[in-house]
Amino acid sequence: MFSRAALLTAQRPLTVAATRSAAAAAAPGGAIERRQRPEHPGKVRLGFLPEEWFQFFYNKTGVTGPYTFGVGLITYLCSKEIYVMEHEYYSGLSLGIMAIIAVKKLGPVIAKWADGEIDKIESEWKEGREAELKVLSDAIEAEKKEQWRADGALLLMEAKKENIALQLEAAFRERAMNVYSEVKRRLDYQVECRHVERRLSQKHMVNWITTNVLASISPQQEKETLNKCIADLSALALRVKSA
Amino acid sequence: MMTNLFSVFDPSAIFNFSLNWLSTFLGLLMIPSIYWLMPSRYNIMWNSILLTLHKEFKTLLGPSGHNGSTFIFISLFSLILFNNFMGLFPYIFTSTSHLTLTLSLALPLWLCFMLYGWINHTQHMFAHLVPQGTPAILMPFMVCIETISNIIRPGTLAVRLTANMIAGHLLLTLLGNTGPSMSYILVTFLLMAQIALLVLESAVAMIQSYVFAVLSTLYSSEVN
Repeated sequence: MFSRAALLTAQRPLTVAATRSAAAAAAPGGAIERRQRPEHPGKVRLGFLPEEWFQFFYNKTGVTGPYTFGVGLITYLCSKEIYVMEHEYYSGLSLGIMAIIAVKKLGPVIAKWADGEIDKIESEWKEGREAELKVLSDAIEAEKKEQWRADGALLLMEAKKENIALQLEAAFRERAMNVYSEVKRRLDYQVECRHVERRLSQKHMVNWITTNVLASISPQQEKETLNKCIADLSALALRVKSA
Repeated sequence: MMTNLFSVFDPSAIFNFSLNWLSTFLGLLMIPSIYWLMPSRYNIMWNSILLTLHKEFKTLLGPSGHNGSTFIFISLFSLILFNNFMGLFPYIFTSTSHLTLTLSLALPLWLCFMLYGWINHTQHMFAHLVPQGTPAILMPFMVCIETISNIIRPGTLAVRLTANMIAGHLLLTLLGNTGPSMSYILVTFLLMAQIALLVLESAVAMIQSYVFAVLSTLYSSEVN
């Protein structure tokens, strides 16, 4: 765009580049100064004359200087016929008037419409940006919730570990019980064996003693014993008879 | 005072060089930049004009038109519009008031369409020489008439634009020429007349560029 605002901004990159390189030298990765977009056009006087021109004159000539210079220059150009007022002058004048009327009449309407369109585009961009921000903040919230859930999972893991420990303990005790009962069974068997052995040996000893005692009794002794028994019985019978 | 009424159409500038032709490309400076993300008012206006034209030309080209084929016609419109409109400004040369420029635009364009049509859609092109429903007896004449009307198309395109531009500028120049010898009261009337004429000429500048672009579009849509 061929405007003064664009020309003014076009002069800036040099300084921006200088500050940028300085900033880069001073602090690598530091904040870089960005080009600022001029939101409003430069100041003008009389509708189209840049304010800078008047400022240029102000220090030397005061307020009226630039006006005097302008009027004087135009008068000089016209009176010396450096500027010739031929047909183009009149068509230019008409075009100027037409342009002023058009700008005054149509300008606000078109500006309003264009600003509306710009606002629409801006709000679209903003909407997109805000949607993105919302998505990101939602993601952060979700991440926090997930972390909280992960903490819960730790608790769960603790509980599971405890559960496993309990199960291990139970299994250990069951096995210990198994061992105990198995050992007891074997010991009981041993005890039973001893009992049987003892009973058998006792029985055998009784049998042996009886056999030997019976064998040791001679027929004489048997006879004497029998006689003695008969005598005892007779004595007993006498005693009973007398009683 | 000017010695020749047509000296406003003289492309020669200082040292007898035809430097005035450079003003043909003055419009390039008027194309809004897209440096910033947010468009300016000018961007919005320019885009909406281009978009409207794109839609318009797309309908004219019909479903057989290739994607993006409207761009050349939009560019053509922009070029002619800038030349026509900037030509109204004082001391700016109007390139479109010369057949050299307009015919340079129209003739190659037309020739390309015709060659494309003759090579790729030969039967379709020659079938166009006899409009539907022509009585058999008139057919030979119709072929002649249609051929002539087709051949003069680039000429009519170029001459229409040039003639319009020349006419407007002549009127403005004639009116402006009466200025120096007028009283101030009469100059007021002169200015009013010139403003009216300038409004008309501004409209003509836009309409003629649009007509040129639309007719080129239609000619291109006819060949396939």
